[in-house]
Amino acid sequence: MIDRSVLLQFLFSGITLGSVYALIAISLVIVYNVSRVLCFAQGEFFVFGALTMIALTALGIPMSIGFILTIVLVSGLGVVIERLLIRPVQNSSVGMVITMTVAISLCLRGLGLLIWGREAHTLPTFTKSKALGIFGAYLSVQVLWIIAAVAIVLLIIWLFFEKTLLGLSMRACAENRLGASLVGISVWKTTLFAWAWGAALGALAGMVIAPLIFVRYISGTMPMLKGFTAIAIGGLTTVGSVIAGLLLGIMEAYTVGLISSEFADAIVFSVLILVLLGRSYGILGRTEDGGM
Amino acid sequence: MKVKGNLWWLVLLLFIALFPATLGRISPYYNTVLILVGIYVILAVSLDLLIGFAGQISVGHAAFFALGAYTSGILTAKHSISPSIALLCGLFVSGLVAWGIGRAVLRLKGYYLAMATLGLNAVIVKLITGFASITGGASGLLNIPPFQIFGLTLQDHTYYYYFVWGIVILVITCCLALTKSPFGSTLIAIHSDEEAASTLGIECPKYKLHVFVISSMLAGVAGSLFAHFMGFIAPDDFDIFTSILILVMLFLGGVGTIYGAALGAAFLKLLPEVTYRFQTYELFFHGLILILVLIFLPKGLLGILTNVKNRLLGSGNLLNPPSSGTEP
Repeated sequence: MIDRSVLLQFLFSGITLGSVYALIAISLVIVYNVSRVLCFAQGEFFVFGALTMIALTALGIPMSIGFILTIVLVSGLGVVIERLLIRPVQNSSVGMVITMTVAISLCLRGLGLLIWGREAHTLPTFTKSKALGIFGAYLSVQVLWIIAAVAIVLLIIWLFFEKTLLGLSMRACAENRLGASLVGISVWKTTLFAWAWGAALGALAGMVIAPLIFVRYISGTMPMLKGFTAIAIGGLTTVGSVIAGLLLGIMEAYTVGLISSEFADAIVFSVLILVLLGRSYGILGRTEDGGM
Repeated sequence: MKVKGNLWWLVLLLFIALFPATLGRISPYYNTVLILVGIYVILAVSLDLLIGFAGQISVGHAAFFALGAYTSGILTAKHSISPSIALLCGLFVSGLVAWGIGRAVLRLKGYYLAMATLGLNAVIVKLITGFASITGGASGLLNIPPFQIFGLTLQDHTYYYYFVWGIVILVITCCLALTKSPFGSTLIAIHSDEEAASTLGIECPKYKLHVFVISSMLAGVAGSLFAHFMGFIAPDDFDIFTSILILVMLFLGGVGTIYGAALGAAFLKLLPEVTYRFQTYELFFHGLILILVLIFLPKGLLGILTNVKNRLLGSGNLLNPPSSGTEP
């Protein structure tokens, strides 16, 4: 029989993973909803966020300033990518857009290799305190930072999309791009903002998890795939993807802990396929066929 | 002009036929490179049937590549079955799996279909890794014998080169014939407007399933050829990066033309032969070249080739691509 404290430990690591997946899922959802592009380079924003923060900290810049600087730099990168590379192919086929984001991902990965080399990097924890012992399980204080980051992000997103004009116009674009442009909203400007948001949130996910893992220039793929899974399960809404991301993380932590790591991913992606199929048959609510 | 077009093809065929005897003799390394190019041409061309003609986005083509490779590899390495029979088994298994899941998966469209096929690829690779006692797991499947046909072992890369390229040319010819047949026209109809097609009485799910099975079987053949060429296969050879690579080849070369897919596969497989000189810059330049092609050549490399040829030969139609109506 497995000890209760071990099961609790799995829950903690599940919540940690799940929070990261949730952040990536939100970033994918915002970009997709506004610009109708599913970005296969989203994992690279995660990596760039983590590695930029690590590099800035190594230069002796205080973490709080490094944090803000990283967000600004990576969201700038997102804006440049949207403006220069996505816009020319925006109205092409889905396959063409996917190929473009894949090409961008390769290019960014190459850039990451040039800047940070092949080595894995990690970050000191945000605050230096010992892990908390709870019923025999250990909880790193960094996990509390991660959970706080998700909570704050959700609050900011809610305020932004409910209370600001820009947020409302982004929602209008997500509803109907043509309609939004007819009432005088600059669709291109909102798209640009969506990419800034997407890149910044991807970077945030990378930064908060960086003290707990080792990040290399190729580390972005798996988080991105889990993000895809979360948005597919969450039905392309912010709250839905947060819940789906958390559940996914917890499910993964328990399968890794209790069964094996190979089958954990097999199970996660089987869930993805089943959910997609379920949705196409209308079992899980949405019957939307052509939308995505 | 038709004659001139065929002449160009003859030149290309002659180049492929004479390569091992001439340039390949000077540097045998390029024989092996061209064998891999051939295998990827089969993959890209078969994916073009699915994406370019039927309009169904798959980012999981490497799953069927893996099924073909592992079926053939396991049967020959562990059960001493003749490779030519194993190849047919690989083809059959890939087709069977595609048939089994196709009807459900192909209900999805656009990005949903892309994500489901991506997930399928991840599941199959993880299952291969997980069932290590059968597949060799993450460390790979060893001792796959070279291909044998009619008692002749194609251990020599020159022989295998001709065998692979023979199959490549067969596959391209069959795919071209298929796309020009009524079946191909039906696929293009489904591609341009599925609802309209079904209003006209076309059974869209059936046709989509058929093209998915055909495309997967061809990927299975490519897998089998790959396994017997390498002698060693590991799950990493078939992960989602491979699927993404095949997709990129297709869009790079030009989608919906068959020739474009072949060109894209050759280009992308030969590109590292040039970019490896840049060492750590390789990945960056690789990505950059792709981005530039996608932005400046929306019709792919085949588009530019057709333009150049039109300038040179007036209106001659060298590569004779089907009408632009097949662009997705």
